[in-house]
This record gives sequence, C-alpha cells and structure tokens, in this order.
Amino acid sequence: MWRRSPSFILDERRTSSSPPMADTTRAPFQNPDSISAYYQTRAAHHGVITSEWLSQAQAAVGGVSGDEHPISSLTDLGDGKSFNVIEEFNSWRKQPDLAEAVAAIRALAAVIRASEATTMMELEIELKKASDTLKSWDKTSISLTAGCDLFIRYVTRTSALEYEDFNSAKSRLLERAEKFGEISCKARRIIAMLSQDFIFDGCTILVHGLSRVVLEILKTAAQNNKLFRVLCTEGRPDGTGVLLSSELSKLDIPVKLLLDSAVAYSMDEVDMVFVGADGVVESGGIINMMGTYQIALVAHSMNKPVYVAAESYKFARLYPLDQKDMAPALRPIEFGIKIPTKVEVERSARDYTPPQYLTLLFTDLGVLSPSVVSDELIQLYL
Amino acid sequence: MPDVQSTVVEFVNKLRKRKIEGSQATAKCTVELLRSVISYQRVPHANQAAALIDAVKAVGQQLVAANPVELAVGNVVRRVLHIIREEDLSLTTAAMAGLDLLDASDDDDVDNCKGIGYPAMSAAVVAAAARSTLRPPSLQTLLEGTPESATVPYTSSSGADSESKTADKSSLTRKLKHDVIEGVNQLIHEIAGCHEQIAEQAIEHIHQNEVILTLGSSRTVLEFLCAAKEKKRSFRVFVAEGAPRYQGHLLAKELVARGLQTTVITDSAVFAMISRVNMVIIGAHAVMANGGVIGPVGVNMAALAAKKHAVPFVVLAGSHKLCPLYPHNPEVLLNELRSPSELLDFGEFSDCLDSGAGSGSLQVVNPTFDYVPPNLVSLFITDTGGHNPSYMYRLIADYYSADDLVM
Repeated sequence: MWRRSPSFILDERRTSSSPPMADTTRAPFQNPDSISAYYQTRAAHHGVITSEWLSQAQAAVGGVSGDEHPISSLTDLGDGKSFNVIEEFNSWRKQPDLAEAVAAIRALAAVIRASEATTMMELEIELKKASDTLKSWDKTSISLTAGCDLFIRYVTRTSALEYEDFNSAKSRLLERAEKFGEISCKARRIIAMLSQDFIFDGCTILVHGLSRVVLEILKTAAQNNKLFRVLCTEGRPDGTGVLLSSELSKLDIPVKLLLDSAVAYSMDEVDMVFVGADGVVESGGIINMMGTYQIALVAHSMNKPVYVAAESYKFARLYPLDQKDMAPALRPIEFGIKIPTKVEVERSARDYTPPQYLTLLFTDLGVLSPSVVSDELIQLYL
Repeated sequence: MPDVQSTVVEFVNKLRKRKIEGSQATAKCTVELLRSVISYQRVPHANQAAALIDAVKAVGQQLVAANPVELAVGNVVRRVLHIIREEDLSLTTAAMAGLDLLDASDDDDVDNCKGIGYPAMSAAVVAAAARSTLRPPSLQTLLEGTPESATVPYTSSSGADSESKTADKSSLTRKLKHDVIEGVNQLIHEIAGCHEQIAEQAIEHIHQNEVILTLGSSRTVLEFLCAAKEKKRSFRVFVAEGAPRYQGHLLAKELVARGLQTTVITDSAVFAMISRVNMVIIGAHAVMANGGVIGPVGVNMAALAAKKHAVPFVVLAGSHKLCPLYPHNPEVLLNELRSPSELLDFGEFSDCLDSGAGSGSLQVVNPTFDYVPPNLVSLFITDTGGHNPSYMYRLIADYYSADDLVM
C-alpha cells in the first residue's frame, strides 16, 4: 500500500480490484511468500527463534515430508541434478562458520563432480544452469550470486588456458573449488591483519551486526594486546548485539550495548565504526543489515570514519540507485504483542549505504577506497 | 663492497640528523645510493632477482627507520624493488620464448624437458601466471592461487647441460643487473625532471587575470607559476607566509624577481582573503594512497577555507611523493615536532619553560606537517597529468608492487 506516490489511496483501490496473481504463476524452484532464505539462514546461525521457525520445526518433527524448502514436492518437474544443487547448497550453508559464497562454490563443485560431460563447453553449460537455478532460488543473497559468477568466470577462463586433456582440467577445477574454503578463511585473516593499524590504544569502536570478519578483526586486536572498547547496537530483530557482546566479553573486551536508536546519542564518544557487508556493489557502496545506512549517515555527519570489512568475493555487479532498487529481502519481525492486521510492518532485512558515507574498505585485496571497487569489477568482468 | 656499506651508514646518519631537506633531494640521494648498492651486489646464477631484492630491502629498511617521516625514502625504495621485479619478469618471458624455440628444434630433448617435471601447461600460461604474481591480488586471480611456475624456468635451465644454455645463463645474469640499472637511471631522470613536467601543465590551469593563493614555499609551485608567466598569462599571487619558518617570504621574493605581482599575507588572514581568490595551489610533502595530502603546517586550514568558499584546491606532487600506504592517525604518526625555539625565544620565556621551577609549565608544540583529507582536494597535478584524488590508487598500482608494501 505504501507506494512511492502519495496517491496510495488510488493504488489501494486498484490493487484490491485485481486479484493477486503472484502466487499462482510462480516459477518452480522459487521460495514462497518472499521470505529471504539468506536472512533466515543468518537468523538460524544466530540462534534466533521465531514463531515461524518453531512451527516449521514442529511440522518437521510431526513427520511431514515438507522441510524448509518446497523443492522436494517438485522433484518430478526438475531433473535430479538441479535438485542436488540446491540441497547441496543448503547443507553447506547451514554450517555457521562457512561463508555463503564458499557454500555456493562447493555446491557447484559437487555439480562438476557429478557431471558426465566430456568437453569443457558441456561442463560450462551445466554449471551455468546450476548457477542460474541457485540464483533464482534465492534472489536476495548477494554473496551467492557473486560467488557463482566468480566461479563461472574462473571456469570460462581456465578452459581458455589449453589444458592437455579434459580430465586434468576438471580435476584442477575441483581442486581450486575445494581450496576456496581455505581462501575464504585466509581472506578473513588478511583483513584482520590489514585493519590492525587502524585500531589504536584507547579507541572506541561502534559495531553493527554480527559479521564474522569484524569479529576476527576484534579478536586479533585483542590478541595483540590493544586496549579498546566496543559499543554494539542491539541489532533488532536478529539480536546480533547480544551475541556479539557475549563473544567479546569472553575475550575481555569492554562492551556496551546500545539500542539501535541510541546510536546518534553515543556517536560523539565513538572513534570509528566497523561494519561487515553482505555485498559490495559496483558504486563502492555496501548492502548490509538494516540500520547500517542510518549509522553511516550519523557517523558521516559527525566526521567519524566508517570502515567496512568485506572479502573480495562479495563484490557484485549491482548498482542500486536507491533503497528500493534491489530485490526485496523480507524477514519476519516479532514485536512480542499482537499487531492489528491493518497495520503494516517494514520487513526489509537490509539497506544500501552509498559510497560517499564510507571511508575505507578492508578486503583481502588490500585496503581500498570505495572508488577502487568498480575498477576491480571491470577488470574481472569486462 | 665495504665502500658501499660505509656510504650507506653515512647516508643513514644524514637522514637521522635531518641534514637533507626536501623530498626531491632525499629521493635523488636515495636512488643514487641504491644504484651503487645494486651495482656492487654480487648475484648468484640462480634467482638473481631475489638476491637483488633482498639486498635493496635490507638497505631500504635501514633508511626508512632512520627517518620514517620522510616518506619519499620508502617510496623510492619500493620503486626500485618494483623495477627489479619488472625487469626480472620481462627477462623471464623472453627466456621462456627462447626455451620454447629450443624445445621445438630439439626432437630428442622434448621428452627430456617434459620429464624434468614441467607441468602440462603451455609457455604462454606460465608467462601469464608469472605476470599475475607481479600484479596486486585481484578478483581475477582469487581462485588461481600462487603458481610455482615462477621458479620453473630456473630449474629447467639449470637442469640442461648443453653449452649454449650455460652461455645464455651468464649473459642472463649480466642482463638483469644491466636492465635494472638502466631502469634506476630512468627513475633518477624522472625525479630530477618532475618540476618541468608539472610546470608544462600550468598553462591549462592558470588563466588570465586570476588570483592564486599559495602557502609556504615549494619549488614545484614556483616553477609552475613562472611557467604560466612565461606564456604571457598575467595573474596575481597571494602568498601566506607559513609561520614559524616564514618561507613564504622567500617565495614572494623569488616571484617578484620573476616579475609577478605578489602579496604577502599572514596565515590567519587566509580565511579573510579566500573569497577573493580563484584557486589555491600548494606543493605537497607526500600524497597517501587514499588521496590524502601531507603538506606544510597550515595547508589544512587553507583547504578547509577553500572548501567553504568553493575555491578549487590544487596540489602539485612529483611521482616520488606518491606513497602506497594508507594513513592511520597521520597527524601524530607522520608528523615531526620541531624545536620550539622557532616560535619562542628561550631567553624571554626561560622561567615558564623550565618545568622544575614555579607553578605549571609552558609547552610549545611546533609540528612540521599537516594532513589534508582527500575530500578537500580538487585536483592533483603530477608529472603524468591531472588526476582526481580517488584516482591516486591507480597510479600507485602502476608504480609499486603489492609485495613491497610491508618492508
């Protein structure tokens, strides 16, 4: 109902007259009711129990064959391979320490292993199909898209490098795909090492969201005996603040929890802001948990640097022009009390922070300013 | 060899005692010192580049430690290391092409060469992989991992016993050093000629009847303004005196001697005069990788004033001033505090300055440099042309290798 034009009353009349067509003409392998699977998985990692999750768990225990993904009911539609890809991907994605892109690349590696292709071209076509399936299954996950694109790009370039025979090329692809998990862990360590110089003794760091990379940075700083304190936002509805504060207090780092609305109030005692990213877009901006844009705006107006820690495989070929320009990623929000049905809830799980509010990006490719991101993407894709 | 060692020690002492002033002079002396280090360095037959790199790094670390605030030293050392890596790479690819031809001609040795353990890849692949190790890590090479092919040419060339190959090897040794020294000479030439290159662009930026503001004294700015004057542009210059060293006075004298209409103002008057100024031009001490500028104290104030009144803030910097590091806390870490005697006369203030006697003590802070964040700079003019601050990382990627950032 809340469209961009103020004439929402007219729009409402128009939409109520035409019956909702979206559900019936849904393509196969699509996630129903547009809850973002990516953010659901993140919530599962954080251990957040929502009523939906509970009902799903009850359904699963009750012996109903339908699990979280509806694909199982559509096996006869697709061939066995595409079913495998999504299952494989989900099984990898469930591990809390594994990055999304690594799960995607492992799933694609499974496709290569199971493939019966005899030429590179055939293999590429199969991979492209599998990657398209994965991408259409979860449109909201940027790391997934970026990881798939990166791997497909690598495969295309490898085939051009005149390998003696197909099997050795295939085994090399499999080996690199397996290695990618190590690359991801190494990336986090490189980022932690690069950002150490920027944390000085006696500084106050504001953190938003629970990014594994930022956690690694803070852990490394604590191990290097730096004295600093952390303010973390509560991070509704995921409750990331509570989790992060428990992790940090284990490391003896002084932590203070803030309400999301208390950020501007506390910003003057903050020296720098550290956030992770779900995706880094072509303009150099980032897509991250809801609230990041707000914090970046406040930090920018008070001249505090905003540092983003993101691995390089999160660079995506997207260029959002405003907040609503991306595929909607909705997630259920619990308020604790019943909301009347006429009241709408803004359920988007993420927002876009434009590059002018970011100071530096720490990636495994080095410390970058936001303008370098498009350069890297051009080198890869064009 | 011992000769070189004593020159190194002498230079390190000079740097530590701040006897050499100015980034151009420091850069020139550093390059000349490194050139003699390279020419006196004995290189083994295999992996000569690594030996040269180690030697240069060892000397470079000493030099940087002697004067960490003079970023030109570190820049120049990294430039030389980059030259060594580049020359080594081009020689390797040439050798690969040569080996390829040899393989094709010898039918018996084909199996031999493959038996040495040469991976099943063509020479083009090896060269491409080696080239990628020279470039900084990028998304393209993310999945490739580090190839060991860079050492393959050496093993395969040392494994062969044909005489022609050993003759090639010794000529290869001499060739690398020769190429590196040629590259270093080119670098010296570039550093010496940076003023002319920058001054050539003056005519595009300074127009008729303009008012230019500058602060302190920079030789680059002097040459820049005089070049525009020579092309018959008439303009006025405001020079902020640049306390406490008052080098602006010297610049004003020079400008008047060359026939330019000059006005000297105090640093505090910059904000008052900025609305009457068309452009601010200053010289930099160093330019950091994010586009931030380290300049003489007072430029941050001029930059803020210029931003407030939408006056273009132009920074002139030779390529030896481009530093590949990102500044964290530059006001403290990249600054130097000079003697308070430049500000206060000790005789008059002896009772306040003496912390032992009396109540309280007077502290004097005399920083040399100022940091200007990149959002305040409109344009950088280097010897390669005019650039945006957000473009500086590109130049840095061209001049330096990623492996040399941490020395």
